[in-house]
Amino acid sequence: MSGTEQVPVTVLTGFLGAGKTTLLNRILTEQHGRRYAVIVNEFGEEGIDNDLVVDADEEVFEMNNGCICCTVRGDLIRILGGLMKRADQLDAIIVETTGLADPAPVAQTFFVDEDVADRTKLDAIVTVADAVHLDNQLGEHHEAEEQIAFADIVLLNKTDLVDGKGLERVEARIKKINPYAKIIRTAHCVAPLDEILGLDAFSLDRVLEFEPDFLESDHDHDHDDDVTSMSITSNTPLDFEKFQAWFSELLQTKGQDILRSKGILDFDGIDERYVFQGVHMLMDGSTMGAWPGGKSRSSRLVFIGRNLDTMGLEEGFNACKVDTL
Amino acid sequence: MQGRYPLDYTFTEPLRQKYKTSELERRGAYADTGAPVTGAVAVGGAVAASFGDGTVRFFWPDSDPTVVNAHRGVVLCLASDSDYVLTGGDDGRFLRISLDGDIEELANFDTKWVDCVAATRGLYACSSGQKVLVWSMGQSQPTELEHSGTVGGLAFNSKGERLAVTHYGGATVWQENKRRWKRSRFVWKGSHGATTFSPDGKYLVTAMQENALHGWRIRDKANLSMSGYPAKIKSFAWVGETPYLVTSGASEAICWPFDGKDGPMNRSPVCVADGGKKIASCVQALPSEKAVFAGFKDGTVLLAELDEKKKAIVLREGTGAAVTAIAVTNSGSHLLIGDDKGKILWTPLWA
Repeated sequence: MSGTEQVPVTVLTGFLGAGKTTLLNRILTEQHGRRYAVIVNEFGEEGIDNDLVVDADEEVFEMNNGCICCTVRGDLIRILGGLMKRADQLDAIIVETTGLADPAPVAQTFFVDEDVADRTKLDAIVTVADAVHLDNQLGEHHEAEEQIAFADIVLLNKTDLVDGKGLERVEARIKKINPYAKIIRTAHCVAPLDEILGLDAFSLDRVLEFEPDFLESDHDHDHDDDVTSMSITSNTPLDFEKFQAWFSELLQTKGQDILRSKGILDFDGIDERYVFQGVHMLMDGSTMGAWPGGKSRSSRLVFIGRNLDTMGLEEGFNACKVDTL
Repeated sequence: MQGRYPLDYTFTEPLRQKYKTSELERRGAYADTGAPVTGAVAVGGAVAASFGDGTVRFFWPDSDPTVVNAHRGVVLCLASDSDYVLTGGDDGRFLRISLDGDIEELANFDTKWVDCVAATRGLYACSSGQKVLVWSMGQSQPTELEHSGTVGGLAFNSKGERLAVTHYGGATVWQENKRRWKRSRFVWKGSHGATTFSPDGKYLVTAMQENALHGWRIRDKANLSMSGYPAKIKSFAWVGETPYLVTSGASEAICWPFDGKDGPMNRSPVCVADGGKKIASCVQALPSEKAVFAGFKDGTVLLAELDEKKKAIVLREGTGAAVTAIAVTNSGSHLLIGDDKGKILWTPLWA
């Protein structure tokens, strides 16, 4: 009996008018024999012409235990369940969120709901940004910042309407919020689809590829609300129990402000690399094979969020290092 | 538009390499339809099963099964009344299908899915999005009922005077009085799905999108919370005269007693059909007996009396595909088991 394959799900965010519908229509018309289903939330904008478009209501709820991390999308669970009953298997599912939506509950649904996690997997969060208006939107709307912060891919659209300097400025702003997202410049959302779909960005394997070294620590803020990022590295092995205690406390108490976290960790006494990735309070982690030969073992940890400098991240992390006397 | 079609597949001998074949399987016939089984119900002398490829198949005790090409996509929901079934599909159609395979389209929501259907005593209803359409006895035009969230479940009480509609935040119970439907709200945080009235109509129970059941006593809206399940409750059935509400979602069939004036409040459930580490995905009553079929995520099917001291009978060992549907003919003569890979076992229950 062959095992059931998990269908990859791409979450598409972006403000109204940024070009999400253009991108969706491209994905659906250039599918090269692949079967995609699109779950749309937004009304207005131009229509999407395809059989496999499913309307969703915005329905976000907290689980009864009241834990804020268990905020999931009820309607998404229902629709994914229906799609999984199809006789023909889908190659991918794309979930469009409304312009003002916080992508976190969509992402968290894949951590929290067992049925969803059994049959589908979160592929990547793709944010379509309007090169002309992003600068203003970031200043005015929390949500625009969060959409950039959560993104694995930022599709910087309408680049034909902005000059070179303007583009550099807007890219710098994106990088300041989220230096780990890949930025793809496009006009009319013309970007190779294989750079947008099927990325497997949420698999723990992919965490191993991230290189946080280029990050210059940038601690000056305009206001406290700004989303920033922070990376910490260490060549000293970590104590597993100390780290567990510190990190779970950290996510429990500060998880609302920590939008995304990722890490590759070197634990004392554990031969393999430990890899994790998190969204707010929820994380998924496991050992992921031996350290590559020729490279020294080290730990790398990255956070994207608000008020990161008030969390004592470096101090907390340093306290997890094993004593090397 | 579409009618009755001859059988488009043949029953094959079971392929048994890894698993022991039970007596029941040797007696039975198999079909491999290739499309997930989305539901099964007894109707007239047959069992009707619905599939992810849009078909509905009728299985008969004394003749070959018949197949009806009903929907263009997935048959999302299935219910039966005296001599017909109702189906809703992701093609937006709400259909009534007779035992002869005649299809009548009752409503068409175009691109919107028909998520839930319910029927009793000539009354029937369907839901699409936040909307419910209900047809009262003898009326050709439905009444439209609006809700604050997407409808997750529909159920009539057995007298056919109340219709429960579940959604985010609880349930709305509609009562018909002089052709007017009046609403009453039952509130509980969370997202509510499949629902059922107790046979006496005194309780309403919902399966939540979390690993819990919720219930209300209709009279005073007292809340019943039945939690502690390791998985979601996808299936439930009323069993015996007590009666018990038997539920999936755990490694055993969990049976809540609904007798006395407080039902299951402050009482423990009876737990039977122990699947070890496996989780039950589907349960069904054995008609006229205090016994239950329990199907598991690995394909195992057990039959157990509602008595913790008695051992369950293994009707079938694991096949690797989750049991998604179990139905018994109204006469209790034949059993159908369907799974999420599209396999059907259709077998006489008694030698």
